[in-house]
Order: sequence, then C-alpha cells, then structure tokens
Amino acid sequence: MGNIIEYVKMAFKNIKANKGRSFLTMLGIIIGISSVIMVMAVGDGTANAMNSEVEDLGTGQISVYCSDDAINAEAWITPEDVAAIKESITGVEGATPQDGTSGTTITGKGEFSVTLSGGTEDLQKSLNFNMKRGSYFTSVDVEEGNRVCVISNSDAKRLFGSDDVVGMDIEVDINGISGSYRIVGVTEQKENTSFVSYTYEGMPVSIEVPYTSFNYFGWESDSFYSVMVFSNDEASGEDVAQDIIHTLETRHQCAGEEYYQIQSFQDMLAELNSMLAIVTTFISCVAAISLVVGGIGVMNIMLVSVTERTREIGIRKSLGAKTSSILMQFLAEAAILTVLGGIIGIFLGLLGAMGACSLMSASMGSVIHPGIKASTILGATLFSCGIGVFFGIYPARKAAKLSPIEALRRN
Amino acid sequence: MDSLISVRDMCKIYNPGENEVRALDHVDLEIKKGEFVAIIGHSGSGKSTLMNMLGCLDVPTSGAYYLSGRDVSALKDNQLSEIRNQEIGFIFQGFNLIANLTALENVELPLIYRGIGRGQRHKLAKEALIQVGLQKRMEHKPSEMSGGQQQRVAIARAIAAQPPVILADEPTGNLDSASTQEIMEILKGLHEAGHSVILITHDNEIAEQAKRVVRILDGKIVEDYVNT
Repeated sequence: MGNIIEYVKMAFKNIKANKGRSFLTMLGIIIGISSVIMVMAVGDGTANAMNSEVEDLGTGQISVYCSDDAINAEAWITPEDVAAIKESITGVEGATPQDGTSGTTITGKGEFSVTLSGGTEDLQKSLNFNMKRGSYFTSVDVEEGNRVCVISNSDAKRLFGSDDVVGMDIEVDINGISGSYRIVGVTEQKENTSFVSYTYEGMPVSIEVPYTSFNYFGWESDSFYSVMVFSNDEASGEDVAQDIIHTLETRHQCAGEEYYQIQSFQDMLAELNSMLAIVTTFISCVAAISLVVGGIGVMNIMLVSVTERTREIGIRKSLGAKTSSILMQFLAEAAILTVLGGIIGIFLGLLGAMGACSLMSASMGSVIHPGIKASTILGATLFSCGIGVFFGIYPARKAAKLSPIEALRRN
Repeated sequence: MDSLISVRDMCKIYNPGENEVRALDHVDLEIKKGEFVAIIGHSGSGKSTLMNMLGCLDVPTSGAYYLSGRDVSALKDNQLSEIRNQEIGFIFQGFNLIANLTALENVELPLIYRGIGRGQRHKLAKEALIQVGLQKRMEHKPSEMSGGQQQRVAIARAIAAQPPVILADEPTGNLDSASTQEIMEILKGLHEAGHSVILITHDNEIAEQAKRVVRILDGKIVEDYVNT
C-alpha cells in the first residue's frame, strides 16, 4: 500500500470535520496518558530527591558484620582486623569498629537515657556533621582509653540548656557502674529533611566515645560484631567490599565460610528505590486502566462513525477503494485520534507533575523536580498509538467489509 | 466496433429457496464501444440489479459477463474494486459526493485509489471539472452547490480517470427539468467525444435521448431498439 499518506490525509480531514466529537473521543486517552505521565514523573522526582538527600548521609559507607556462623565460631572482628582493613585495602579512607552500650545520666534538667557509640576517631566520618565547638576525640584518646565524648548541640541543650558545654562532664551510669565523660566536641545537628530524620521526640541522648573507654566499665572492648569502613569516591564500593571480606577471611582463615557480610549504603538505597518503583508501577497500572477505558471509548466512537459513514464507505468502494484501503483509512483515523490524545495527555501530565511537585516541595520543605524521562514519553506515545490501532481494528474491519451495494443503499 | 460489454445468459437470484426472487432471468446483452445505451424499466423490473452487475458492484448467480473481453463474473471483492476503479465511471441518482470534501477532492478520489501521484491527479481532476463547466467551483463543498452542479461534479469524477464505461444510474432523478437537460447534454457530449455511456432510467423521455434503448421487465430484456 503506497498510498498510506493519502489515507492519513483523509483521516485528518475527517477528524477536522468533526472537531467536537474528535476531542471528546480523545478525552479518555488524554486523561489516561496524563495520569500515567504524572504519576511516573512525580514518582521519579521523589526518588531523585530522596536519593540526593540520602546520599548526603553516607555514600562510601560499608558496614561489615558477623554472620550467625561467625558468632557461633566466635570469629569476632578484632581491633587488629580493623587496622589491617584500614592499612591494606586501597580506596579505604578509614575504618572503625562499632561498639555501643547504653546507660543513664542525671543532670540539672532531669534523668536521661544515653546511647554510647564506641569507635575510633574514624567514627567522625560516619555522619558528615560539622563540628560546632571543640574537636573530635583523637587517636591518642582511643589508645589511652580516655573517657571523652562528642555530643550534638541539640542533645547538649537537652542536658544542660546550652551547647557551650566543651570541658563539662557527663556522669553516665552503665550497669550500676558510674563514670564521667568529658565533652571535647559539639557537633551541629542537621535539620530533619523530608526523607531523613536525624532526631525525634524522646530519642535518647547520644554521645560518641572511644571504644577503649568501655574498659573502665568492666568489659574488655576488643571483639566486635561489626565494623564500619569508609571508602573514597574513586573506589568502587563493590571492589572494596570484596577486599574487606577477603582480608577478614584471610586473617581468620575461614575462606568460604561466609562469616562476614556486607551491607553498604548503596544496597539500602537500592532497596528504598525498588520499593518506590513498585509503588509507582502500581499507581501507573491503575492509571493505565483508564487508558484501556479510553481505548474502548475510541472504539465506540469509531463504530458510531462507521455506521454514520456507511454511505461514504459505499461511495469509496464503488469508486474502487479496496477492503484494505478502507481499513487503512479507519485505522489511521483511530491511530491519529489516540496519538493526538496521547500528545495532549503528555503535556497535561507534565504540567500536572510540575504542579504536584511544587505543591509537595512547598509542604515538605525540600525541592522535588518532576523526573521526566524520554523513555516514559516515548513509551506513552507508542502505547497510545498501540491502543488506537488495537481498538480501531474492529470498527475498521466492520467498515471495510461492507458490501458497496448495501452501503450505497443506506442513507 | 469492438465489443465492450458482453452479458451471456446472466441470472441473479436473491434468497435462493422457496421465496427466491429472480431479479435477472437469463439476460443476454451486447454493448459495443462508443455506444450510448439507455436501459429502461419500472422499479422492480431488475434494471438496478443489471446496473449492479454491469458496474461490477455485485456478481451474478450464473452466466458470464465479459467486460473489455475479460470475464468478471466470478471475481473476488478486491478484484472487483480494481475493475470498478479502472473500467467504470459511476454517476448516481443521489450524486454520492462526500460531504466534507471539495469538488476537486471528490473528483480526485478514484485517482487516489488508482495510485496516481498528486500532481497528475490534480491535473486530471481539474481537466474533468473544466470539461463539465465547473472551473469556478473547484474548491466548493457539495453543500455549497446546486443539485445540477453536484451532479456535474459526479460526472467529472466519473470521467476523470478516462474509464471505458460511464454508468449513469438515474442521473437526473433528483434534478429539476433545466438541470436534467443540462446533464443530458453533457452525457450526449461525452458520447460524441467517444465515451461509452450506459444510462439507467425509468423515464421514457430521458431514454429517448439515447441512441439505443433496452427495455427490461421482470428480469428479462423485452425490447432492444435503436432510436432514429
């Protein structure tokens, strides 16, 4: 059929001749496509905003922890392991064991529970908070087991009513043993964002201390369940993780036992993203149902059109139009209607997504830009075209199969 | 002269069985190239059925139909479309123009289906419209024209592709007497220019203007004479 352009022209002419009806026919497709586009753009935009906020929190962090098998075999991670990881693996900027305990403290403001996070001075790399006052504890503090601590400004205010607390002591009671921690630094607490909460009501006071300081409370802090490793930007997280596992397995002579497991920040981020993708897909599917309904609308109108234009079909056939010519003409009409509807729907959907994102940005306090992907737009266009052709086939066949005599006889 | 249409022992039976209608009953008809023939009959006489057969809009139940020497009595739907497009120019009682197309676009339609390119199509369609005296109405839609003008557009459409047969089915049935005469003059002019014209009518006065008259009654040809 070399005449496709002619049939497309005919189809356009007929759509133009029935503007009102053509628009109403397109409405279903417009609503369907625009809602799919809007949901996907808002979903992608939210994911992008979430990723950039969460990335702030800790890319390059790799958490290594002992599996149940390692615990049974008592193959704990030792301070020497941590040192080896830090020194021998390229791309590793720091590593700290993670130890922790909790206790209580009583100040002039009342009684508080306290969470003590123990580590080396590398612990300061874990949350990229800025120091507000004083400085972080040092490797000397770690070596000597000094009872010094770093606290956030908001916790300092809770305990003492002020964040000017460097040099003050916190009396901590852990399992009935009490000891004092000298505050050497105050960090600046970040504001909560839409997706990351740094603080919440009733959260225990949290201080960061050298893990060696726990010796004072009666236990030897020299075997750890987990270690936090910080890689630099150039190193691939995957490679570093493999190197860490390899180092640990070599040192503990347990290759192939799967004693040590990795959880990187990227993994958690990927999990979050895949959850968000599932939600977006689900909502898009619901919106896609309206597309199918829109397609049935197109089919209905095309059927009415075939009935109305029976005589025209008869004339065309008497003048030599073949079955395939009529089929092409009506199919082209359905496809044009749906593609036009699709294009209008894409524009409305993008407008809607921008509106929704600015509303969300205003109410959540973080900036969300609609995520507009070329693949979404291309997919939506192809899908609406497909719907036009699919739902246009039945009416077009009905038109094409009319006998010219029958068709001419009708008015 | 060469034979253009040759119908042999043609029957068309609707509703075969007990209530069968024998619309054409063993019809034989020969029409030569360049003839101007009127087929006349009352409604129900079978003349419309004959016109459908001659126009390749339908196929006979039995018998043979040779159009320009080719047997077209057993062709398939798409082949019939092709024959109609190449061999026959239709002129209908109700004009049968497409309402949302201009006169020029209506005339171009059969040329589109023949696969003629845009430039050549425009040229042929314009020539045909000039031939029927509508050079000033090319861009008008059917609703903006009188009945006579619409029928002239239909004639232009029928002759634009220069088909061997012009088949006019009651072409003056919806027209006043002035327009009727106008259309008849055009048909006569086409005949004089060498076209073969077949005119189907129930009107004796119209039929008398043709060169040859074939009368049909109850599906049979009962009279076939040349006007003097």
